[in-house]
Amino acid sequence: MKLRVFILSLASLLLVVLLGQLNHYLGPWQLHAWCGGLFVAFAALRLDFRTGAAAAFIGGLLLDAGSPVTFGTHALLFLAAHAAIFNVRARAPRDETIVGVIAALLANLGLFLALSFLRVDLGPDSGEAWMRDFADLLVSQLVLALIAPWFFAVQANLLRMSGTHIRDASRGAF
Amino acid sequence: MSAKRFDQAHPFLTLALVFAAWLVVPTAVKRVLRAGFFEMQAPVEASASYIRDLQEFWSLKTRSKNDLIEAGRDLIHLNAAYEVRLQQDADLRAQLERLGRLLNLPAPEGYRAEAARVVRRDFSGWWQQLVIRKGSNYGLTVGAPVIYAGGVVGRIREVHAYTSVVELISSPGVRIAACLEGDTRPISYQGGINPTLSPARGEVEYVPVDVFVSPSAPRRLVTSGLGGVFPGGLTIGSLTNVEPSSDGLFKSGGVQLDADLSDLSEVTVLVPEETPPAAN
Repeated sequence: MKLRVFILSLASLLLVVLLGQLNHYLGPWQLHAWCGGLFVAFAALRLDFRTGAAAAFIGGLLLDAGSPVTFGTHALLFLAAHAAIFNVRARAPRDETIVGVIAALLANLGLFLALSFLRVDLGPDSGEAWMRDFADLLVSQLVLALIAPWFFAVQANLLRMSGTHIRDASRGAF
Repeated sequence: MSAKRFDQAHPFLTLALVFAAWLVVPTAVKRVLRAGFFEMQAPVEASASYIRDLQEFWSLKTRSKNDLIEAGRDLIHLNAAYEVRLQQDADLRAQLERLGRLLNLPAPEGYRAEAARVVRRDFSGWWQQLVIRKGSNYGLTVGAPVIYAGGVVGRIREVHAYTSVVELISSPGVRIAACLEGDTRPISYQGGINPTLSPARGEVEYVPVDVFVSPSAPRRLVTSGLGGVFPGGLTIGSLTNVEPSSDGLFKSGGVQLDADLSDLSEVTVLVPEETPPAAN
């Protein structure tokens, strides 16, 4: 389990860095891509609960370290999203990539809205603030839909290279 | 049936347990964890910024010799202008010191300018921040003002071993004591909403009622020097519109920030210089 968590955390670190670079170049247009759903979806759909939860929590801490939010905000939100996806995963063909992409998109939507509610000050200009958030959400969902299949493949291949078979890892629910 | 229900509730029970446990983790542990996770990412991001610099270097190498000669000529003109400014500056400093001695004024706070490359820009609707490639290794301190050729960038929020995080003036919630150019009355500036595909904006409060501006005749908003963070006279942006506030005593309005603020690749940190204690 520890090795799997380590590998998934490495994949999360890669994603944090790549998204950071993308946002660096999107900065001049005042656009921002946030793909929190990607940190959760693969492990929640394909792996056992503990491994997925630990990986989601660590992925959240990686994002928390570089953001001006209370340390643990992303981590606890990711854990909640992981628990929600894990609870409904038996009702969908979870090995399909498209199911993973849809789960990531839905998780991203929920997490984005949760963070927006935490961050947006409901002052007189909150309508404008929500417009900006809506534009960022649109970009985030687009970026996520584009990179999700690649990122799932990276996670699956890293796990395979370390000698972990995803089917065996997901068999035991907890 | 009950076992199945427990299975379904198990993930949420675990979540509740982790949440409760996280609440009781001491702040010191969280601080160490935060610093650890940040430092783990810092070398990767700094390497990416070095690669970006290298990319820029090679793209500049493709420029023709004529471009280089033209740039050199422009640089000579600029250097000549700066030489004159330096001489004027030295003369003014000497005058200021002489007057200060005559009037027995305390010496103004000095700053050491530390240029730093931008590692990462992070401009969301939630926050606006930069990561720069200098940290405690260059003596940077939390709260130090950060500027660029166009005026104020923001202030340092976190200092790490080799990098620092700068909170931009466009970040919602950032407040600065400001005033209009040529007017010493203080105004409160606050970072505002940053609309997509256009320059960042800020808001001002407590503008005197006799101030009139319009988008066609804006006025320059500068730092007032009050509050002790930013030296006075640094450009914040242009005050483009004002309207009476609800209490009728002041006006509030909007500030247009420089478009280059979103495209910075190098900034200067003003590190406050420690004045030696006066000898008795």
